[in-house]
Amino acid sequence: MSHGQDHGHDFPPKSSIKRWFITTNHKDVGILYTITSIFVLLLGGALALLMRAELFTPGLDFLSSASGYNQAVSAHGLLMVFWFISPFATGFANYIVPLQIGADDLAFPRLNAMSYWAYLFSIILFVISFFQGATFAGGWTMYAPLNVPTYMPNVGGTTVVLALIMFVASITMGSVNFLTTIYRMRAPGLRMRDLPMFSMSWLLTVWMMLFAFAALLAALMILAAQHLVGVNYFNVDGGSLLWTHLFWFFGHPEVYIVFFPALGVMAECFQTFTGRRIVGRKWFVLAMVLVALQSFIVWMHHMFLTGINLQIKTLFMVTTIGISLPFDLMVFSLIYTMIKGRIRYTTPFLFCLGALILFIVGGITGVFLGAVVLDYEFRGTYWVVAHFHYVMFAGGTALVGGLYYWFPKMTGRMYDEFLGKLHFAIYFVGFNLLYFPMFSAWETPRRVFVYETSAAFWHKVATVGAFMLGMSFLIMFYNMFKSMASGEEVGENPWEYATTAEWAVSSPPPLENFPGIADYRGGKLSFLSESEAKAADSGTATDGGTATDGGTPPAETSTAAGSGTATGGALATAEQALATRTVETEPEHADHASYWPVVVCFAGFLTFLGLSGVVQQGGVYYWLTGAGGVLSAVGFVGMAQESFYAPEPTLAEQWPFEGVPNMKLGMWFFLGSDIVLFGGFIGSYLFLRVANGWMFWEHELIPAAHVTFPGLVNTYLLLASSFAVVLALVAAHKNSSRGIVASLSATWLLGVGFLINKGIEWQHLFHIHSDAFPNGWDLATNVASSTFYLTTGLHAAHVIVGLIMLLYMIPRAMRGAYTGEDEASLEYFGLYWHFVDIVWLFLFPLFYIL
Amino acid sequence: MAVPAGGVVADVVLAGAGGIRAPAEVFQRIFLVFLALGTLVGTVVITYTLYNAYKYRYREDVDPAPDTERPQMGELPEGGGKGKKLFLSFGLSAVIVLSLVAWTYGALVMVEEGPSQSAGQEELESLEVHVEGYQFGWEYTYPNGHTASTLRVPVDRVVNVSVTSRDVFHNFGIPELRIKTDAIPGQTNDAWFIAEETGTYTANCYELCGQGHSYMQTDVVVMEQSAFDDWYSNTNGTQASENGTQSPNGTQTPNGTESGTHSEVIAP
Repeated sequence: MSHGQDHGHDFPPKSSIKRWFITTNHKDVGILYTITSIFVLLLGGALALLMRAELFTPGLDFLSSASGYNQAVSAHGLLMVFWFISPFATGFANYIVPLQIGADDLAFPRLNAMSYWAYLFSIILFVISFFQGATFAGGWTMYAPLNVPTYMPNVGGTTVVLALIMFVASITMGSVNFLTTIYRMRAPGLRMRDLPMFSMSWLLTVWMMLFAFAALLAALMILAAQHLVGVNYFNVDGGSLLWTHLFWFFGHPEVYIVFFPALGVMAECFQTFTGRRIVGRKWFVLAMVLVALQSFIVWMHHMFLTGINLQIKTLFMVTTIGISLPFDLMVFSLIYTMIKGRIRYTTPFLFCLGALILFIVGGITGVFLGAVVLDYEFRGTYWVVAHFHYVMFAGGTALVGGLYYWFPKMTGRMYDEFLGKLHFAIYFVGFNLLYFPMFSAWETPRRVFVYETSAAFWHKVATVGAFMLGMSFLIMFYNMFKSMASGEEVGENPWEYATTAEWAVSSPPPLENFPGIADYRGGKLSFLSESEAKAADSGTATDGGTATDGGTPPAETSTAAGSGTATGGALATAEQALATRTVETEPEHADHASYWPVVVCFAGFLTFLGLSGVVQQGGVYYWLTGAGGVLSAVGFVGMAQESFYAPEPTLAEQWPFEGVPNMKLGMWFFLGSDIVLFGGFIGSYLFLRVANGWMFWEHELIPAAHVTFPGLVNTYLLLASSFAVVLALVAAHKNSSRGIVASLSATWLLGVGFLINKGIEWQHLFHIHSDAFPNGWDLATNVASSTFYLTTGLHAAHVIVGLIMLLYMIPRAMRGAYTGEDEASLEYFGLYWHFVDIVWLFLFPLFYIL
Repeated sequence: MAVPAGGVVADVVLAGAGGIRAPAEVFQRIFLVFLALGTLVGTVVITYTLYNAYKYRYREDVDPAPDTERPQMGELPEGGGKGKKLFLSFGLSAVIVLSLVAWTYGALVMVEEGPSQSAGQEELESLEVHVEGYQFGWEYTYPNGHTASTLRVPVDRVVNVSVTSRDVFHNFGIPELRIKTDAIPGQTNDAWFIAEETGTYTANCYELCGQGHSYMQTDVVVMEQSAFDDWYSNTNGTQASENGTQSPNGTQTPNGTESGTHSEVIAP
């Protein structure tokens, strides 16, 4: 375009290391995710090979006794499920989704970079855990009470919990970001139902992530508190079962979170490489939505043997078997898509077809597990291991296909097709040699290295398959490196019948993605220049007519890009004419770089690392925590101060959030996840209280000194503070700087009052000396005290965060910010603050009255 | 399953003594049906998939459906077909899956409620054993209070186990007798089984519980009723009874059999 795309603001080229530390562009972040996740694949895979080597014969034990094996199996699971497979998909999502929906970048680019850096640093934390005594060795499912310090005393165990918390932070930032982007930044004409399959599957994935990971975060925060401050949740009556509920409520949606992006890739590749549109696309999408919803009501099928009653077991058996039905539909949809196709056996297609077959095997064996009477025997055996590797790793297989599919787009070069096919052949044989024998050896218990000799043959075959599968990846790495260096260069689209927008731009795409604004209103993709967009938007006809009409018979691929360049010259004069008028109001170019994300995440890393050992070992860990805390403060302030321009699109499909600015929508999504977090804490309290006896709790576990009055005072203080925030907004409407400062200061003072009052209350309770509680009633006294302090403590932490935000906002208000049209930030803060107050309105009756 | 030594009529392949269907047989039958059906469905679907993948391979000169509209760059998605065939397949699989659920539900209820409904049950009292898992073994407590690390039970008799844990989350399972249940600290889970053949079996732990998890095995010895009675009466000098009140005296019975293999034990 004739607009100079001048990013002369020092954005370093890709060859410079600095570029990769400061970039916020979605394509760069996508590449970072992809490469990092592959490193995790290698680490998790190496652990698996160690396990399989030890399983070659029963009784081999070279992993330095059981502790080594247990660490390997736990780390393998954690790394693969959390740190490999979803981030691998996230890499594609980052790169491809904005392109597919016609956006220039994500809604919050710096937040996106932060997601990545939090991910990377959480991996480093995890790796460090191996060297802190021993890493977590209780299985990726981290069952209680094996997960509490009594049974998991090494610092490394705590570190893993903290690393996971950091990872969940990364995921939550990512989900908020993608949800806001997909709802608010689509190309005009691209309705939600028109989303390409990969973007659609990613949308559902991040919806599930938003809520599921919040539940996991609750479990992890409680567990971390158990490690660091000694609360008693998972080591009391009902604690084991509580963990299983919290974990699996997250854990089941998690497996679909893992699989959905793969499903999206399969749908894209099936369509492209068969040359047929997905059969029954509407039903396919509906099936995915159904699974996403249903995924939250099947979790107890992981708990069939925990002693839950028959009615509940039956209910969950039905919902579990029920969830296989939408998958049936999707499988058949893909199969029927091949009919009357013109199928090319490219490497991506082979991997996706292979994934489909593996998924069919995995899915069928899952039905076995859903039948409760069979699950009674399969529980804790290799049947489960074989089943979930067939389904989850089938997902991984499709994602490998996605890597080959988008490799030409991301690198501009074509991979070697022969090597790709060779990789697939060895991979597929190795995969089945590894996992199919596990069905024959299904009686072997999970996570053991001693097993019946009758199963030895099958385990030997499996070990051979494992090494074959692992080695096949060497072919892939060689292929990728070789092709990046000397592969054939590709244009925009090497794949016949590809339809989505990423294939309409160069490979790799330019920094700003598109030669104009992507537009689907004509029924197919075209690109508008800025002026055309304004003209089309305002309805006046201009000489931009040729570019905007979608009705003109296109000349295939080149049209979309072609109309931009071909008519660009013709429009140049029009733009020149407009240029003089618009130059003052023309916005700055979007920013693509900031070094604050990596700084803030590094600070977080230091803080978590410090926390891991501060209780047990002190010393250097204190310094780490302190340094991390200080650096975090510097980082957050720096990031808030930085002027970073991330423009909202001028023209976009935004249903159903047309009137909601990005920041506000992001805040809503975040609060949605926060609701689930609090729900996890409150639910835990209720569960444990019922398990220990509701009235027993009140009479025996809570001291008489715990009275309602402080809670009541706090309720009034918070309600008043919410009112003060409303006053601040009113003052902002009236452009009264003084009014804003006064109201915000009142809010702040009331909030501080809340904390002081709480502090007094807690101090009093810590130091009571009654017969029942001779040593006071503190965090570690009993389960009632633990739930009280931790839940209200989480709330207090939210209050503190709000007060810190106010400390930033009040000085700005004194300098005139937030008046007039600038009141948006004030409104978002208000949303947060009101949410915090509403939570208190639930906590107060639960902890002070009932 | 083989017929119990001692000659109960062979017709009762699917029933233990007294017409009670042990969970083991229930499992076996259901498992085989699922296996057969699953293999059939899997083979049919995968074959059909591969068949289509081959039949519709790209051939330069041949377009199998020249009037089919092929995907175009930049198009808005419409979906490629009416989906009628899709619903047919979906409906078929739904019927199969739902029938399986309904069928196994009956078995589930039976296993849950325990062997209380069968006729001819009067002469069979069940044996109650309390099982406690710990890091890293299983301790069995009999009605008379005797504790041991080997589980001894009479053949062809219902054994009710109440399972709990002393420390972390374990899972108690005897694979060959098809019984399994979680061992959770602070709660007790009940399960039952009938062994139809004498021999020595193994009880394993099926939930990762710490460093000794791989080694957490004990023997399960199924004995003839008379042999069992002899052994039981020798544990504290009392007769085998339902309501033992003595405190555990800690005598360990000799464990003379090998673990893990299905060998016959000759009653003394």
